[in-house]
Amino acid sequence: MTDLPASSAGSATGVSEPATRATEKPMRERLVRLADHFKREWQIYVMLAPMIIWFLLFLYKPMYGLQIAFKDYSIFRGIVESPWVGWEHFETLFNNSQFLRAVKNTVIISALSLIFGFPVPIFLALMFNEILHALYRRTCQTIVYLPHFISTVIIAGIVITAFSPSAGIVNTIIGWLGIEPVYFLTKPEWFRPIFIGSGIWQEAGFSSIIFLAAIAGVNPSLYESAVVDGASRWQMMWKITIPSIMPTIIIMLIIRIGNLMEVGFELIILLYQPATYQTADVINTFIYRQGLQSGQYDLAAAAGLFNAVVAFVLVMTANSISKRVSRTSLW
Amino acid sequence: MRHLTLASALLTSMAVTTPAVADGHLKIVDEPLELTIHMHHKRYPAYNEDWPVEQEARRLTNIHLKNATIGSNTDNSGEAINLLLASGKLPDIIGTSRIKDVVNQYGPQGAFMPLNDLIDEHAPHLKAFFEKRPDIKSAISAADGNMYYIPYLPDGKYGRAYFIRYDWLDKLGLDVPQNVDEVKAVLEAFRDGDPNGNGLKDEVPYFARQWEELIRLVTLWDGRSSGSDTYHDFYVDGGQIRHPYAGEGYREGVKNLTEWYAEGLIDPEVFTRGSSAREYLLSEDLGGMTHDWFASTSGYNRLSSEIEGFVFKAFAPPASISGKRIEEHRRIPIKPDGWAIGGTNKHPVETIKYFDFWFSPEGRNIVNFGVEGVHWTMEDGKAIFTDAILGTGRPVNSQLYELGAQLHARGYFQDYGYEIQWSNEFALEGIALYDEGDYLIDQFLGVAFNKDEQAVYDKYWPSIRTYMLERQQAWILGTGDVEADWDDYMADLDKMGLNDVLAAMQSAYNRQYGG
Repeated sequence: MTDLPASSAGSATGVSEPATRATEKPMRERLVRLADHFKREWQIYVMLAPMIIWFLLFLYKPMYGLQIAFKDYSIFRGIVESPWVGWEHFETLFNNSQFLRAVKNTVIISALSLIFGFPVPIFLALMFNEILHALYRRTCQTIVYLPHFISTVIIAGIVITAFSPSAGIVNTIIGWLGIEPVYFLTKPEWFRPIFIGSGIWQEAGFSSIIFLAAIAGVNPSLYESAVVDGASRWQMMWKITIPSIMPTIIIMLIIRIGNLMEVGFELIILLYQPATYQTADVINTFIYRQGLQSGQYDLAAAAGLFNAVVAFVLVMTANSISKRVSRTSLW
Repeated sequence: MRHLTLASALLTSMAVTTPAVADGHLKIVDEPLELTIHMHHKRYPAYNEDWPVEQEARRLTNIHLKNATIGSNTDNSGEAINLLLASGKLPDIIGTSRIKDVVNQYGPQGAFMPLNDLIDEHAPHLKAFFEKRPDIKSAISAADGNMYYIPYLPDGKYGRAYFIRYDWLDKLGLDVPQNVDEVKAVLEAFRDGDPNGNGLKDEVPYFARQWEELIRLVTLWDGRSSGSDTYHDFYVDGGQIRHPYAGEGYREGVKNLTEWYAEGLIDPEVFTRGSSAREYLLSEDLGGMTHDWFASTSGYNRLSSEIEGFVFKAFAPPASISGKRIEEHRRIPIKPDGWAIGGTNKHPVETIKYFDFWFSPEGRNIVNFGVEGVHWTMEDGKAIFTDAILGTGRPVNSQLYELGAQLHARGYFQDYGYEIQWSNEFALEGIALYDEGDYLIDQFLGVAFNKDEQAVYDKYWPSIRTYMLERQQAWILGTGDVEADWDDYMADLDKMGLNDVLAAMQSAYNRQYGG
């Protein structure tokens, strides 16, 4: 990996910590090297440009608007003309027990999705890898990919029908076992399992693609020599496949942790009821109800900013832990 | 008026300063004047110059509207108007659903023009209308006392009503229930008596497309569920603003509805079945009773061709525990929809005259029925649809939308005559029944907050509303006990600021309606 310009900022602080920066080169030399590098590799940067421009336009430019979290925002007056109100919106949020509950629910739902949802695509990829019959494998893969391409609205429709107390397949099956029908979607205790389960059903297949790709990249000679040594398929999976795809797993895990606060709220909005707000209401649905439906954009921006700060801290923490423990990291 | 076409074709000048009167002087300007318009509604996401109604209006008034709608790719008018405001450039006319709160908030900041003086000086029909209906003038005024929009004013009083399967009652030998106890007895009979005769206990005695229509039943215990045609709204009780979900009748109602729900008298899936509930439960011969719109619900009697003897008709509101018969829902006389004049409009006088045109007798007929001679003709002073509309077999209202008539993003006064001509006989029978009994009650027409009141409302109300609905569903579903929880519930509401919200509303109400 090339040393990207971002890390050159370190040279400014390098003065105060000379011991850890023993390899620091003079500024001038680095700049010359960088210019050389650009001259040689400019094609790569041209290819990178569209993505950078996309980032600047759609992720950095909107950050300008974040200031409305600290303003009494009027759409008509605009961002600049609206008066500052300091931390008022944050005080309102943290004095609101429903917001605190939403934060708690967000963390719980995310953590459970991570614990139960993250390993599933890895299992799937490993299992697909063990299927020898090509046509059978492709059929299985297509079946598990399919839900990914169904719109969330339809997924919600399927879930509501499946868990319906009168006609739903779930209640029909537990009816055979002699259990009374349960109105699952109004029971707070059932909301999280249903939500997380339907999320896994929808996305696990598609997420397994990246792990399959990683498995495909494992050097075949490793398996060949293992076969010569008399290793079983089980041993090959544990000793070769999993260690080889471990960097991919860790990178995916860090990314997932970074998105921990981003619960897929479209599905929640479609599935929740006032009766299940207790366990289902997350920060994003709170923002939707309080901010967008009631037109309080400034308050919604404050809640969103808080969400982003927490996510940022999480991804930093995950990255540094991983760097120390496994020497794999995003940056 | 029959010579309207001829008269306006002959008409040349002089109309500039003369107000539009019924003799055909409808031209507002001599030379065609172009005005830009943002018009957004989920049924028509942009203004269309080719609507026959618009062509007719253009011919008569010489005002040419040009489409300048922002956000046509969304069906959410609120998003569209916010985009428009955020863009900073407002067209001459802004017409949209849910315009009221927007103009009341941003009108005083200069985004929209105050209309009071313009109406007084240049709009005789609007002026006459507001003089006759001061309540409507109060209801649309902003906190600074100005009017910033001309609303869509629905006509006709009746909205939802109680409906029941008359053929099931006959089959079980029961009379139409007259009070809350009889309703319960009938629902129990529906549950146990197998009125659909399939040998299964699959009947759903009471169902609703919107679960809020289940809560509506608290009126049978003298509670309230809403003060307007918006669910969960505040209501006015002798000049005092109250919230229905903090009243004793509501507590009693919820307690009983919880029992009904537990006993299977209410659709067990009422909270998730959604908008297809009525279609599904009626066409499968499962549903017994509901509370829903007159016109569309009466339409289900067409099922009698498939289900032997099917009769689903309105019945009078059952008497509550104290003997009162009320129908809480009615068509509200003013919608928050309509149109306004942009703050930078260079032709406010012509624009208000144009708004006034739609309140003139000619304009009102055009906006309600379409083009004279094509879509309707005058018979005995009444506009009667021609076969071009009634002969197609398609729903009349959707045909009218395609012509540009009955568009709610325009400020106009609806004429119930348009609907009565194609209402189903069962609906007319039901309306006659409700008319006779005079069951409707007054509606809360809403308030316009000043800045401080708005801040209080925004700070507390969304959370209180969420909490109320959570408790409500929990009680009905039996995960809480309304009797045991009530004192804590009231204390929580108090702690969450309900009294502050009520005080803010009360001060706005007193200012607006002179209470």
